This record gives sequence, structure tokens and C-alpha cells, in this order.
Amino acid sequence: MKTLILGVGNELLSDEGFGVHFIRHLRTHYSFPDTIELLEAGTLGLMIAHKLEEAGRIYIVDALAAPGAPGECHRFTKEDFLLNRVPVKLSPHQVGVQEMLLVSELRGRCPNEVHLVGVIPASLSPGTELSPVLQACVSELARQLVDELRAGGVRVAPSRKMDALEAQ
Amino acid sequence: MAPRIITLDPVTRIEGHLRLDVEVNEGQVSRAWSSAQMWRGIELLLKGRPPEDAWALTQRLCGVCTTVHAIASIRSVEHALQVEVPLNAQFIRNILIAQHAVQDHLVHFYHLTALDWVDLVAALRADPAKTAQIAQSLSDWPGNSATEFRAVRERLQGFVNTGKLGIFSSGYWGHPAMKLPPEINLLAVAHYLKAFDFQRKASQAIALLGGKDPHIQNLVVGGVATAINLENLATLNMERLTWLRGLMTEVLAFVEKVYLPDLLAIAGAYMEWFGIGAGVTNYLAVPEFPEDTKGTQFALGGGIITQADLQRFRPIISHQDDYLLQNTRESVAHAWYEGKEPRHPWQGETKPKYTDFQPDKRYTWCKAPRLDGVPMQVGPVAQILVSYAAGNPRVRRSVDAVNAQLGITLRDYHSTMGRLLARGLRTRIMAELALEYLDRLIANLAAGDQTYANHTEIPAGEFKGVGFHEAPRGSLSHWIVFKNRKIENYQTVVPSTWNASPRDEQGQAGPYEASLVGTPIAEAEKPLEVLRTIHSFDPCIACAVHALDPTGREITRVQAQ
Repeated sequence: MKTLILGVGNELLSDEGFGVHFIRHLRTHYSFPDTIELLEAGTLGLMIAHKLEEAGRIYIVDALAAPGAPGECHRFTKEDFLLNRVPVKLSPHQVGVQEMLLVSELRGRCPNEVHLVGVIPASLSPGTELSPVLQACVSELARQLVDELRAGGVRVAPSRKMDALEAQ
Repeated sequence: MAPRIITLDPVTRIEGHLRLDVEVNEGQVSRAWSSAQMWRGIELLLKGRPPEDAWALTQRLCGVCTTVHAIASIRSVEHALQVEVPLNAQFIRNILIAQHAVQDHLVHFYHLTALDWVDLVAALRADPAKTAQIAQSLSDWPGNSATEFRAVRERLQGFVNTGKLGIFSSGYWGHPAMKLPPEINLLAVAHYLKAFDFQRKASQAIALLGGKDPHIQNLVVGGVATAINLENLATLNMERLTWLRGLMTEVLAFVEKVYLPDLLAIAGAYMEWFGIGAGVTNYLAVPEFPEDTKGTQFALGGGIITQADLQRFRPIISHQDDYLLQNTRESVAHAWYEGKEPRHPWQGETKPKYTDFQPDKRYTWCKAPRLDGVPMQVGPVAQILVSYAAGNPRVRRSVDAVNAQLGITLRDYHSTMGRLLARGLRTRIMAELALEYLDRLIANLAAGDQTYANHTEIPAGEFKGVGFHEAPRGSLSHWIVFKNRKIENYQTVVPSTWNASPRDEQGQAGPYEASLVGTPIAEAEKPLEVLRTIHSFDPCIACAVHALDPTGREITRVQAQ
């Protein structure tokens, strides 16, 4: 079964680009088997729907515009999405992601397992760097996700690239 | 009855965050205000960076039209340095531009605007066999079987039963302005679901050539970084080019046999919408698809039309058109920026000054671009009209045929439905052009031309340039000033900035605002008609202003006062 890990968000707006930074972090720090696909999709919604349908399981990582402390993480499932039960408002691409899943479901091709991982941002001002708070979250959340994948039997190794860097 | 103000905030099913306020008087819109609720910070972000890197960053301006900003940005640097672009690179860029346009237009028609005209729930009353009969009379597309339509109807029924349609926040099922027969509704819903497969094929085609989609990777100042060797397995070889041709051929067939017949069926049922939504009838389009290295020959010309008068058409034949370069100004009289006088983009400023929504003063993050002091509408209708006026045979053939079929004239294009129709015609032209440029690329390679780029070092000194591109939503320009290899000023005048622009210092309304005046409103709480007209422009506010509203406001609010 193929798993798609999708980072959405706008990397020109500091923490809004959390999903994009998250995927880059996974790429540099871990080595995944072919069954895992990493995709940083920027702010696209409907135009990457086919990517979702090619997977058996999806993780969508995004910034979450909700009250709460910056760095706080919330998780939602496919049913939360389809029945409009996500209790907080997401970023402007919520409609894109939600409709995309619904249309895939109507096509009979939406994977059963959909996880939304949302992190509350500290800053949305223009800039290509994450705030220090969210910068710290990236590695922690990556570790959690990798643990979850490993618990499900996926073999995730530390990246050789990082070994090489550390050996220097 | 006293006038009421309806606020739609944000307008759904668009990219970005747009607020509309419309004043409704006697069942019609009497005034409108278009307000972009996000601030564009990209200009500030680019200052101090190397000009040759700008194209990769500006792709992130928007989630939909990534390719277009890359193209306009790279052209701005090439214009500044007077760099020629080799034929192979022109053809590769042209294929990318054309195929991206097809993907973008398909997504717009089926996924962003169809539900303004198609009643999902009414499709449940359709007879699948009758639907198949109608579909087969419209085209010989093999997917139009009664079995297929029955399956779609059953899945849809399942969704309605479990309450899953709630996600479509702006789906006005059962609205009195919905007029399609049940069978056409079912037909459109089935194709809405099918269109996903074909936008995907277009996306695969872009990725084959551009390295990745979204966000192509293969541009360099002076050409492309695509390695093509027809015999070498490790590069883009003949086998992959054959795959590319296959994908683009399938996409063209879907456009001809599904998209256009659906569009004509919908247009035929809503003929009154050829008389609604004209607004600003000044049009601007720039030439596109350069076919020589200097950029003097184009497949589709540009031009300016003033007040719907095709007789007074003024052609634009190059991207160095002096009139266009000299007379573009951006007004901030009603926008949340400092400054009074309209400024040329090369002298443009981006100094935010937020005041709250004040309809008589400042009310948007969108600047107001004006050409020689007047607002311009941009987009497929502008490109189709100027190409028609210039006598382009391909466009004339296409327009004349569809006009005869629907019983309309060129005047009818100044409307909400006219914009949808022009976009459909443009899609077919783009799908054809993509294939033609692939042929020309292969022929040029076979003739022995192996040049992909004129290697360009950015020299010291001060330079300024502009990159024009006729994008899916209309004329786009990136204006750059750089000095000693660093960007000093960068301004993007994007299609949605032209169309979503607020009033200027003379009080002239922008195209969205003007187009809504006179629109009939059946139910103030469900302003479906407003969405139809606004969606017909294919708004993409993300790059018109950029950034998002940081207050976490509600995703959808329709408020009638």
C-alpha cells in the first residue's frame, strides 16, 4: 500500500509554509522505502487530486488557523472532513483540500485512511523561514510521524545524507 | 424596498481570499465593491535577491498558476538584458504554457464554476438512459453510457443520504436560478468527476517536460535546462516525447468531445447570461507563443479594445510595445497602501496602510492598474476578441462556428457567459497549439539544432525589464529593476489585479465591480447570480494580493443587511 505524505501551505508566509518545510525536513533526515511518497504541494488543492487517489493512505500536513498556542498539533480523520466536523477553521486552502477529498470519494477513489495533521502557527507575516516555535515543532512532529509509520511496519531509516554531514 | 448590502466573505471556490459587497436595489445589483482580503508581500521578499532566482520564488505566488509566474519572471530578466531565447527553448516553453492553460481551464470549468450552473441534487431525478441518449447526440465520446450515468447517480444518492454534500458550502441546490434539465445536470456531474483524470494527464505532460508539476524546474535565463537527446535513454528522448504526445492528444480529445459540448449545452440553457455581466468593456491582451528567438513573431497577437468597439482595435505586436510600457500605472487611491499618485510599476511601492473596510475610501489590498488612465478587462475573452479583430484565422474559425451554433454575435461575448465561452474556445486552441509546438520541437531537433539556452551571466550595473505573458486569467507582467546583481524593485501586475481592482482616483470601478451592476438577484441570502459573474472571471486572488487573513475569520459568510 502506498502512503502519500503531503505538505500544503505557502512558504512565502513564514509558518503558513509549515507543511512544505515539514516535507523538506523528512527528505533530508530520513530515508523512506518506495511505498512512501513525499510531496510538497504548495497551495494547490484540486490540481493535485490525482496524487491522493494514487495512494492507499494519506497524511496531509498543514498550518491550522485556530485559537490555541503556537505549535499545538491537532489531528483529524477522513470522516471529520467529509461530514464537515473539523471543529476549527483551516487556512484558505481548506476548501480545496476538503472538496478534493469529497470529489475523490464521489469518484469512488478516495483512500480510506486520511489523516490531517494541523499545527497552529505563530507568525504569518511574509518571509521564507519558520518562526522559532514552529521550527522546533518540525523535528518533533517528524519523529512522531516516523514512529507511527514504523509501528505500522514501514521501514524508515535515518538519512545517509545526514550521516555524511555529521561525519564531516 | 430600501437598498440592502450583501457581503460575501470570502467568495468560495476560488484561489485566495476575496470579499464582495453588493448593494441590491429592486432585485438588482446597483453598486459593488471588490475587496482583496490578503496582503501581497512578495515584492518585499524579492528585494536584494539575485534576479536569476526570482522565477523560482515567484512560482510560489499562487497555488494554481505556478508556471505563469516562472515564465513572466524569466522573461523580465531576459528583457532587461536583451537576451535571445533559442528556438528549442521557445517551443518547450510554449508547450508548457499551452498545456498548463488547458489544465487550468479544465479545473476552472468543471471544479470551480460548474456548480454555479449545475444542480447536483437535481441530477438525482435524471433518467440515465435518456442522459446517455442526449450525451451521444452531443458527441461520440466513448464514456457516455447509461451504465456510467447510472453509477454516478447511485454514488451521488449515497452522498445525499449520508449528509456529505455539506462541504459544498456555496452549493445552492434547488435555487430558482438553476434551470438545467435533470439529464444535463447528471451529464455535467458525471463529466465533473471524469475531468479529474484529464487535468491529471495535462499535469503529467507538464511534469514530463518541466521536471515537476506543480513548480516547473527547467528554466534558466536565456532558455531552458531541459536535456533532450532523442536517442539517449537518460534524457528526454523520443520515447518520452511520444508519451507526451499521447497524453496531450487524449487531453485534446476530452476538450473537444466533453468540455466544449458541455459548455455549449449549459450556455444554450442559460442564454440570458449573454446579456448579463459585461462591466468594463475595455480589453487588453498581450501577444503569446513567441515563434522566433527574438520574440517578434507570435501565434496569437495582442491588442487593446476600447469600449467594446472592435473597429478601433489597437494591435500590440511585441512584448516591447512602447505604449503599453509607458502607460501602465497602478493607483492606490482606494487601496490599503501609502501614496496618492498612480505609479508606474518600475517606480512602484508596496507600503501597507490598513484602515479597515471603508467603501468610500480605502477598502482592499488590491491596487488598481490602469492603462492610459482607464480600467481594462483581461482574460480569455480579451484574447479571443483581439485575435478576432486582428483577423487570426484559427480564432475566427473557432468563434464563427460556435456563434452560428448558438445563434449569438461578437457583442454577446461582453457578458458572464461570454467569458465562459471564450475560455472554452481558448482551451481548444491551447490544446492544439501544445501538440503543434511538440511537432515543431521534434522537427527542429531533427534538423540538428541542439541549443537550449544562451548562457547568461548577470552583469554588474543597473537594468530594468518587463516580462509579459498572456496567462490563463489574462495579461500578466513582472516588472524588475536590478542593480549590481541584486533586485532593487519587483512589481507583479497580475490578471486578477486588473480584474479585481478597486475604484481608482477618478472613481472608475474595476471589472469585477462594474460587471455586477445590473445582475438580477432572486434571493438576497443566496446570491448565486453574483457567484456566477465573479467566477466567470476565474478569480485568483492569491497572486493578485497574496497572503492570507491572519485573523482566522470564518471560511464563508454571506450576510444580508
